[in-house]
Amino acid sequence: MFSLRDMFFISMLIQAASILAPVFIGGQRRASALAHITLVAGLITGFISSFLAVFFPMAHTVGTGFFGLPPEYFRFDPLALYFLCVVQAVAIPTAVFSYSYLEHYIGEGRSVKSLYVFFAGMLIATQMVVTINHAIVFLVFWEATSMSAYLGMIFEKEKKEVQKGSFYYFVMNHVVIFLLYIFFFILHRQTGSWLLSDFRVVTGNSGLTALLFLLALAAFGMKAGFMPFHFWLPRAHPIAPSTISAFLSGIIIKLGIYGLFRAFQILSPAPLWIGWLVLVVSMITAIFGVWYALAQHDIKKLLAYHSVENIGIIGIGMGIGFIGSAYANIPMQILGFGGALLHVLNHAVFKSLLFLGSGVINNNLGTRNIELMGGIVHKAGFFVFLFLTGSVAICGIPPLNGFVSEFIIFNSFFTAARELKEYYPLMMLVSAVGLAFVGGLAVACFTKINAIMFLGTQRGETKPFHVSAYDYISLGVLALLCVVIGFCPVPFINAVNNVVSGIVPQGGAELLNINWLYITVIFTLFSAVALAMYFISKAMRKKFGFRESDAWCCGYNRLGPRMQYTASSFADQINDIARAPLGYHKKGRAGEGIFPPSSGFESHSADLVDNRIIVPGYKKFISLMSAIRLPGNTDIRYYVAYILIMIIVYSVVGFLWH
Amino acid sequence: MALMNIFEGLASLFFVLLFAPLFAGLVNKQKAMMTGRVGAPVWQPYYDLFKLFRKETIRAKSASFISGLSPAINFAAVIIAASMLPVCNAHPLISFKGDIILFAYILGTARFFQILAAMDIGSSFEGMGASREASFAIFVEPIFFFTLGSIAFITGFTSISDIYRSIAMDRMSYTVFIVVCSISFFILAVTECSRMPVDDPNTHLELTMIHEVMILDNSGQDLFFYQYSGNIKLLIYIVLETAFYYPLGAGLTAVGVTIFALNILFVSFVLAGVETVTSRFKLKDMPHYLLFAAAIGILNLLIFTFNK
Repeated sequence: MFSLRDMFFISMLIQAASILAPVFIGGQRRASALAHITLVAGLITGFISSFLAVFFPMAHTVGTGFFGLPPEYFRFDPLALYFLCVVQAVAIPTAVFSYSYLEHYIGEGRSVKSLYVFFAGMLIATQMVVTINHAIVFLVFWEATSMSAYLGMIFEKEKKEVQKGSFYYFVMNHVVIFLLYIFFFILHRQTGSWLLSDFRVVTGNSGLTALLFLLALAAFGMKAGFMPFHFWLPRAHPIAPSTISAFLSGIIIKLGIYGLFRAFQILSPAPLWIGWLVLVVSMITAIFGVWYALAQHDIKKLLAYHSVENIGIIGIGMGIGFIGSAYANIPMQILGFGGALLHVLNHAVFKSLLFLGSGVINNNLGTRNIELMGGIVHKAGFFVFLFLTGSVAICGIPPLNGFVSEFIIFNSFFTAARELKEYYPLMMLVSAVGLAFVGGLAVACFTKINAIMFLGTQRGETKPFHVSAYDYISLGVLALLCVVIGFCPVPFINAVNNVVSGIVPQGGAELLNINWLYITVIFTLFSAVALAMYFISKAMRKKFGFRESDAWCCGYNRLGPRMQYTASSFADQINDIARAPLGYHKKGRAGEGIFPPSSGFESHSADLVDNRIIVPGYKKFISLMSAIRLPGNTDIRYYVAYILIMIIVYSVVGFLWH
Repeated sequence: MALMNIFEGLASLFFVLLFAPLFAGLVNKQKAMMTGRVGAPVWQPYYDLFKLFRKETIRAKSASFISGLSPAINFAAVIIAASMLPVCNAHPLISFKGDIILFAYILGTARFFQILAAMDIGSSFEGMGASREASFAIFVEPIFFFTLGSIAFITGFTSISDIYRSIAMDRMSYTVFIVVCSISFFILAVTECSRMPVDDPNTHLELTMIHEVMILDNSGQDLFFYQYSGNIKLLIYIVLETAFYYPLGAGLTAVGVTIFALNILFVSFVLAGVETVTSRFKLKDMPHYLLFAAAIGILNLLIFTFNK
């Protein structure tokens, strides 16, 4: 027995103390080492307690207040604990990675203290967001999370692309928080309380419920990156330092999902059309997310689009859950929400693995363009193996964890078709086909990047490839998690089931009734057969001989690195199919004559949502705003005065209102 | 009973593993006869496999551990898929609620590693094959769900053997549905197993190949595993195709096995016939052909849903 609240605060204090190290210690290396040790120690303390609380719900008490903080300001229900556990599970490897990542910058002679402070601040604020119960404090920490991520993101602020990309993230966050203000204020007016756990909507007021749902979907959906609000992800991720982008993609976008779950708890049952809206939007998000990813050549941009795809998959599960709640159907809710929640964990694990991996690659090669890479497998085989593990997991193919959550979501389709009859079998079949299509595209995409980045021979100039022990530890831990959740899903299913029963109070055993033992046995069998065959062929090679030779090249033997297939040519055929929505176009000029001069080829793709909606809309907004001409349009002091006047007006109105 | 089930399952798996090369040989022999050649004996695939197994393995210099891993993973995936097959409506070795998803996805794993292994060589020949395989594969799983999956959604059964049993029990109401589904499924089988008109298994020019060019640089045991997995995969799809028409009552009896064998023979005849009379489509047109199969699936389902 231990007190969860005390453990949580102790861990938060240790983590917060780590920020002091770079402030008071002069030497960069020493400060970084001390800070990271403290941070990881704090995270592990927190993780142990939240892990025990999630997986062994009986072993803890919530405990009373700490430091005179009112106990009701914090909420340690299963949902909060689950997200806390996910956050910390990802934060530990990311923090370990951060040490060697900062080492790289220190080697370049940069001051990394600011990056560390914002990184640690981001971790701490995120852990607070998922446990806070008071709406205003929630908003404060929500803002702290977003802003520390932003400040970390602009670490290389002298670069033009960094300034541009981070600006979208900055604006997005403020739109989100503006919508959240409205959301929470309406709820506060309804209930007179500021506690999230007290928020309710009077039953029968369907107009207000719908409005609040739309607000929550817009705000949290924008944070999560649903289409058409995904525009900030492919801009912000590539320019952020890898530690920030890993956490941004692994965890911070999941805060949107967390918010949606909280909103659902407040507003349930969802109207049917909300359920369908979520399902359809998520389906579009998933399919186009992965298709846009396929057309990218920038590794981090590509991974960012994959985050969009995975948010879509999570949303599909939530959509099924919402539809289930509209029909008061328990099994659908359990499977839909369960699949979504497990995918939150899975995606957090494999996406941070992939982003951290891309950080290692970026540091070594100094480029994010996959067309210039190749042949890494011959220099760092085990690193490639780890990255490959994450790739297999994210494709949702057996035997790793991605399959498990997608399997639950597929099951929720089957359940919906069986339970609701009518036109549902058809609709659910279309959803299943959509999800299968996403899986197929993901396979195409991840074979592309793994093949182009790692296999064959190096395309650009050859550089040494160094992976530090810390990189191996952090990537290894995450890869191991992928394997464990894949082969042995039962404890994780139990944990998710526990969370779901907090969201769907009636409860049910649909998640537990899936025969998980089969999955474990089959995956083990699969690996056993594969390993056996591998060793048999190895033995046979020894017996019957083995040698290496040049690759077949129609009788020639001048196979150069530049003759290898490139990422654009690999994906060309698939992109051609969706030329219009991808904005995919090619430019080529072939040399003519017997001795042709140089020839070239390039292919480009554009994000249609971006080009047609977001950017024109933004421009229109700017021109509209600049049409309003106030005196002193160029002097910042006038603006300060305007703000002051507005505050006074608001205060007076507010004072008279009461 | 449980022991009996396991026995039946093992027997089915054994059957598939044993007769997969024979089926490939059968198709090739019939194709040769239809085009007026004598052709290789039906046992030729066995000779080939035996020969490959005992040969020296040569790998490209640029190959990595992927090239060694991929044949084994391919074979393991195909074995798992094969153990879900309801041969003669017998109880498969692996059968649980939702195994239809596992079936589709485990073949995805095989494909993933096959494509990677092809790219591992670093030659543009293999790259070409891998790119084509990847782009056709994105349609494979959707078509699979439109055919076998649609029955799962309509009957409510999610295990492959249950799905086939349920349509066998109520064949009257599903007649049209089954016929159309089986046609779509045939297209799927042709695509997945790289047969005509999607891919020409006997082509001699690297530029026109899809599957064959991916294993161009493999030899010895690696090629053995690829070839053998390919044979098994073909038989898997053919067994699933025939199972649409397999009568319920005839289980693992003498009559049942005869019907089953005749069914398989018939499908091999059709496959050889199709390969004789068609030539390979242009690569550019392939998505249309595959989308056509998907479209049949959608249409079929709409009719079924609104015609109740």
